[in-house]
Amino acid sequence: MIKSSGTKGPLPAPAAGKSVSRAAPPEVVVEFLRNIMPFNELDEERLRQLARHVRVDFYPRGTRLLTAGETELTHLFLIQQGGVRSYIVDDEGEVTLKDYRGEGSYIGALPIIRGTPANLNVETVEDTFCFLLPREDFLDLIENQPGFAQYYLKNFSEKIVNTAYTELRRHRMGRRSDEDLLLFSLQVGDLVKQPPRAVPADATVQEAARAMAEYRIGSILVYRPENAKEIVGIVTDRDLRNKVIAAGLEYSEPVARIMSSPVIRVLSRAVCFDALLKMMSSSIHHLAVEQKDQVVGVVTSHDIMLLQGNSPYLLFKEIGKQRSIEGLYPLSRRIPDIIRNLVIEGAKSSNIARMISILNDNILTRLLTLLEEEMGPPPVDYCWLLLGSEGRREQTFKTDQDNAIIYSDPADEAERLAAEDYFVRFARQAIDHLVKCGYPLCPGEIMAVNPRWCQPLSTWKRYFSSWVEAPEPEELLHATIFFDFRAGYGKTSLADELRAHLNRITGRQEIYLLHMARECMATRAPLSFFKNFIVEKDGEHRNKLDIKRQGLTPFVNFARILALRYSVNETNTLARLHVLADEGHISRDLWSAANAAYEMQMQLRIIHQLNQIDRGEEPDNYIDPGQLSDLEKRMLRDAFEVIDRLHGVLKVLFPVV
Amino acid sequence: MAAFFRSLFRLPAPHPVLLENRELFRDFDQGRPLGEYTFVVCDTELTGLNRRRDEIISIGAVRLRDLQIVPGETFHRYIRPRNTDPNQATLIHRITPEQLRDAPSIEDVLPDFVRFCGDALLVGHFVAIDMHFLNRAARRVLGGTLSNPGIDTMRLARAYKEARCRDYYGYCDQSMSYNLDDLSREFHLPRFKPHDALEDALQTAYLFLFLLKKFRHGGIRTLKELYRSGRTLDRIF
Repeated sequence: MIKSSGTKGPLPAPAAGKSVSRAAPPEVVVEFLRNIMPFNELDEERLRQLARHVRVDFYPRGTRLLTAGETELTHLFLIQQGGVRSYIVDDEGEVTLKDYRGEGSYIGALPIIRGTPANLNVETVEDTFCFLLPREDFLDLIENQPGFAQYYLKNFSEKIVNTAYTELRRHRMGRRSDEDLLLFSLQVGDLVKQPPRAVPADATVQEAARAMAEYRIGSILVYRPENAKEIVGIVTDRDLRNKVIAAGLEYSEPVARIMSSPVIRVLSRAVCFDALLKMMSSSIHHLAVEQKDQVVGVVTSHDIMLLQGNSPYLLFKEIGKQRSIEGLYPLSRRIPDIIRNLVIEGAKSSNIARMISILNDNILTRLLTLLEEEMGPPPVDYCWLLLGSEGRREQTFKTDQDNAIIYSDPADEAERLAAEDYFVRFARQAIDHLVKCGYPLCPGEIMAVNPRWCQPLSTWKRYFSSWVEAPEPEELLHATIFFDFRAGYGKTSLADELRAHLNRITGRQEIYLLHMARECMATRAPLSFFKNFIVEKDGEHRNKLDIKRQGLTPFVNFARILALRYSVNETNTLARLHVLADEGHISRDLWSAANAAYEMQMQLRIIHQLNQIDRGEEPDNYIDPGQLSDLEKRMLRDAFEVIDRLHGVLKVLFPVV
Repeated sequence: MAAFFRSLFRLPAPHPVLLENRELFRDFDQGRPLGEYTFVVCDTELTGLNRRRDEIISIGAVRLRDLQIVPGETFHRYIRPRNTDPNQATLIHRITPEQLRDAPSIEDVLPDFVRFCGDALLVGHFVAIDMHFLNRAARRVLGGTLSNPGIDTMRLARAYKEARCRDYYGYCDQSMSYNLDDLSREFHLPRFKPHDALEDALQTAYLFLFLLKKFRHGGIRTLKELYRSGRTLDRIF
């Protein structure tokens, strides 16, 4: 067919001969080989000779190229375009990522050299074009070409085997030392120094104290007299001081009277960080360590504090000790430093987000407790609601305040006026203090200080009902913020009742969920953006990625819609997905893919914001893809692809969308 | 009968290479797995698009075996046109008049090309045009047309895009371009320099390989199935 005139240099002289085999190998192959190590060492003649033996193949994304222990290699793969990942699968089906390889890299050199089947599983993560160099040609180069053997063998020994997350952290944050890893690498069982010491529940207080003195321990477990294996409680030094000596209790009283029961347990194989979270979220200092349903020992907050220096736990304790609201201001500003340590130590982003919300919750609890003391008790019960990302426990750093107050329906007019007056003042002061703690005001005024969002339970129920019945754009926006509420402080039962109401009304209103699903699917996965970025290497596509709106929000929205549909009470996105998978509403497979995708993006976001804080900038969600490593780009791509799968689920649930 | 027509139009007796070519396709079976066929992806450059007057001035082609491109087996020739003023070609292709003057004639090139094709299927982007000009020359030079079946990558690309967007979003935007360059960009294929028969043939080969493997991923195993996937479109257009 005819070609429009293009820009092109002079053509080579036409081949005038008759022989078919005279055609030179396409420049594309020679050019490729000329530019990759160690082929760049070869002379032109040799390159052309090799190029004639090469073939080109194409493998759509997701094609398995090699299977460890099975595939016999007939050629070396040289990646012309695209990318692969290599991984191993252990006996228990656990997949460990070994490496990503992209353009210009090779696959299969080691098995060819050693004459064994493939040593790794290799799978394409993008549509991939490969040049295939026959095994014989490759072996000939290894044997006869100086530098070849050295190049490939050196690469093997230097290859650092890393999981994706290790790489991610190493790339982004410097590591201090290996000790930092203790919180995440050490299992709770490793901290247990002696077998569990216990007394029967009918032993006297004095007998318990004597046993503690003998074993030099600060706490002792209590078991049911009929069964020494059945731990029913725990007694600590503090119990002896507060409940016995200070209270003037007889030493002959049974220990059951002063024990704390039940004992909170932690699995022996849990990492210490999990134990720490558990202690902090339930405000206790002792956990029974459990292994195969047996208590094998006790760990204390002290044991864990010894593991770390700049500890979240110390901050947690300081918050609890504060006697003035002003004293909380500097404490909340220490949160980023603590989080930085956790990132460096290798915490998963979901754990980091949990830690942030635990610390924020503690500041809020302390602040409101002190404020109540200052202002006197409220006329009716109330609950401070946390909304949006706070409600989902997905804050990173200094996200805007999103809160509200819900209070019990007043009994009469006088009580109504008293409640209104109190909570208006209460909210104003609380918000003011929170700003001083470093939590910025919500630009949309979704805060308890706005009278519209400081209302009795019946009004809240009416709000929710009207939003669900008439889903206009503004109502849908409200829903995304308000329906992720959780109790932050105060009477939790009020929040529970509102949640139950919401479940009742959304269960009936399919049409409402349909609107939400439509909104959700309007945000398409930013795959095209990413694809272009991978292809365009000249840095023309300098536009940034809003990782919150484009990457994370689709997961949040998806989880919310399904949670509302199936009356899942959790507000946290990962927790919602977990419950949905447990109850069989989404497949295990989708759950684990979504989990990994969400974690990875959160991680990227947290690291991005930490770096901004380090540079003295305001943290935001705009990530410059130019700053991402190849690995991060690929992982991000994988994450975006999950969004399409989520939309697929929504399409099945809401076929008319 | 055939001899009668031949004498009527003063056509030469079929060239031996053409008889060989016919023999190769006497019992052509479309039911074999795709990997068992050989394909030759080709592209021709023309002096213009007039179906009766214009001529081929270059042919580029590359072979596929075992569903892999074999870059070591390519074909690339310039051809001296018979009637057209060689100066005209420079305007279109930037091929110099000297290059065309020194090039062999179609009489020399065509038998080579037919031999190069052998028992392969001919693949091209908008292959009908290439086939028209090849066959027009073949009738005159070789006394008949080529028996190699053709496969059109443009049609396959259409079928692929249609199937793909139907799966995802339930509707299909058919306003997109099916130009080789645009498709290569859309599918993120490695790129070749346009307006050169061999480079274009390679570009088409990459497109063909891409589509072939994508179709195979989607369960298309034999040549017959591949044809059928392209043909469903005839009903739509």
